[in-house]
Amino acid sequence: MKNEIDIEAVAKLAAINLSDKEKEKLGKDLNIILEHVDALSKMNLEDEEISIHPLRKELTLREDVSSEFLSHEEAMSNSPQTEDGQFVVPPSLD
Amino acid sequence: MNLNNLSISKINTLFKKKEIKPSEVYEQVFEKTSQSESILHAHLKIFQEEAINNSKLSDERYLKGEELSKLDGIPIAIKDNINLKNHETTCSSKILSNYVSPYDATVIDKLRKCGVIFTGKTNLDEFAMGSSTENSAFGPTKNPWNPDCVPGGSSGGSAAVVSVGSAIASLGSDTGGSIRQPASFCGVVGFKPTYGSVSRYGLVAFASSLDQIGPITNNVADAKLVFNAIKGHDPLDATSIEDKSVQIPKDKTAKVGVIKELMEDGISEDSKREVEKTIELLKAEGNEIVEVSLPLTKMALSIYYLIAPAECSANLSRFDGVRFGLREPGETSYEMMENTRAEGFGEEVKKRILLGTYALSAGYFDAYYGQALKARSLITKDFENKFQDVDYLISPTTPTPAFKFGEKTENPLEMYMSDLCTIPANLAGLPAISIPTGLSSEGMPLSVQIMSPAKTDNSLLDFSEKIEKLVGFTLKPTLLEDSK
Repeated sequence: MKNEIDIEAVAKLAAINLSDKEKEKLGKDLNIILEHVDALSKMNLEDEEISIHPLRKELTLREDVSSEFLSHEEAMSNSPQTEDGQFVVPPSLD
Repeated sequence: MNLNNLSISKINTLFKKKEIKPSEVYEQVFEKTSQSESILHAHLKIFQEEAINNSKLSDERYLKGEELSKLDGIPIAIKDNINLKNHETTCSSKILSNYVSPYDATVIDKLRKCGVIFTGKTNLDEFAMGSSTENSAFGPTKNPWNPDCVPGGSSGGSAAVVSVGSAIASLGSDTGGSIRQPASFCGVVGFKPTYGSVSRYGLVAFASSLDQIGPITNNVADAKLVFNAIKGHDPLDATSIEDKSVQIPKDKTAKVGVIKELMEDGISEDSKREVEKTIELLKAEGNEIVEVSLPLTKMALSIYYLIAPAECSANLSRFDGVRFGLREPGETSYEMMENTRAEGFGEEVKKRILLGTYALSAGYFDAYYGQALKARSLITKDFENKFQDVDYLISPTTPTPAFKFGEKTENPLEMYMSDLCTIPANLAGLPAISIPTGLSSEGMPLSVQIMSPAKTDNSLLDFSEKIEKLVGFTLKPTLLEDSK
């Protein structure tokens, strides 16, 4: 594992603008945490399986049947900006 | 009539005998809230008017002998990361400060059908990330036993309201100890059920493979009552498990394992003493006590701090200024998202999103998230193996009693260490409970944690009731008496 984090690159991926002060503080904290979790890299886990559900249960899906839930209006009621039942956002391209 | 230390069953009996009415109980609970809130700041919203109206409806039901359940008329507070229809769900975050939920979480729907009176929404660390409520964007909650100390977290508000009496019970959520640790710091009972036994639908997701909703109560019997009201398979939660509980035989004495690694370095003498005291009481009752070694529990913090941030970075990507919550302007959509998330999230949340983004990014996925998931499987198997030999496991709930504000905010690891004993149960999906047992030399509550195999929640609760009786801890904070 590598233990130095490129804070600017990660912040870009995470879509969070960081101030210079935050970059310094969070970068320092993250490196402390990464150093701690590095102990994991020393474990030999090659034969171990990955499980997402802690009880190793298969995730189940509902029957594909439509049911009453939120109206279109209710589902959009928390949006900062809508128009004609659609979300309004700034342009996606420069 | 003084409600202190009355169980929900007892209150229900008094309702049925017409010795007290639900609206009178709410009145008392609200009185405690009015007296304590300016000191504790345990609530983000108090539903006074709605609660009065609902408690009067409950009065009428009891009058007609048509009560809906044992929980009818019982005032319960809800952590503010659980959705109640037409109420704000802020998760103590600026990014959701104006969000109004258009639907009820499954647990709320179930409690509503039981006739529960919802008293308000309680404070938490932002998005349930923290162990002290110091990360709430709306200011911290104070500990009712000593307002200079933290109430624990992230369900600090939910623990404080039960401790001080401004709710009979509350709901919290537990991702790495967020029900049990604050319950311990505030001297009340906190129960994290088996993963998947209580629906997460309507709980704002932090780390989906670890999050679990559960009760915080004055005693174990109340926890059992609330748990059995909210549990059950839910088709709206894909991780929900079938409602098939497993029983540990009750008609014999139990074999209890003391987790060696959680009685060593990093655990205060105060915390160890409570476990030792409880062990002696169990022994005297004929239970068998053995030492159990679970060496991987020492790796639990590392595993957790890869899995939880990784899942949080994915879950919190939905807060983008488009569909709900805060929006900060930007020239492009991406700029708008970056500005919104910069303004809306607090420091701890940003830290965990960044850590998770890093752990999931190209080139690091296998080394970090993949490795952590494999180690998690190993821990789960370790627990399963140990439970072949013992019925229950015991440890302290927390390494220390409640600490002072600001004491652990400088180094992230120091704060994370306060969940050392609670994280393993989340990783393995096990039920675990915190039972208050005594006070530290400084007069702050201490607890023991009992864990049991997956799906044995009701056996764990029955056994915990025995421990509670043996220990006999009934003290409450004197905050309100002291402030008079």
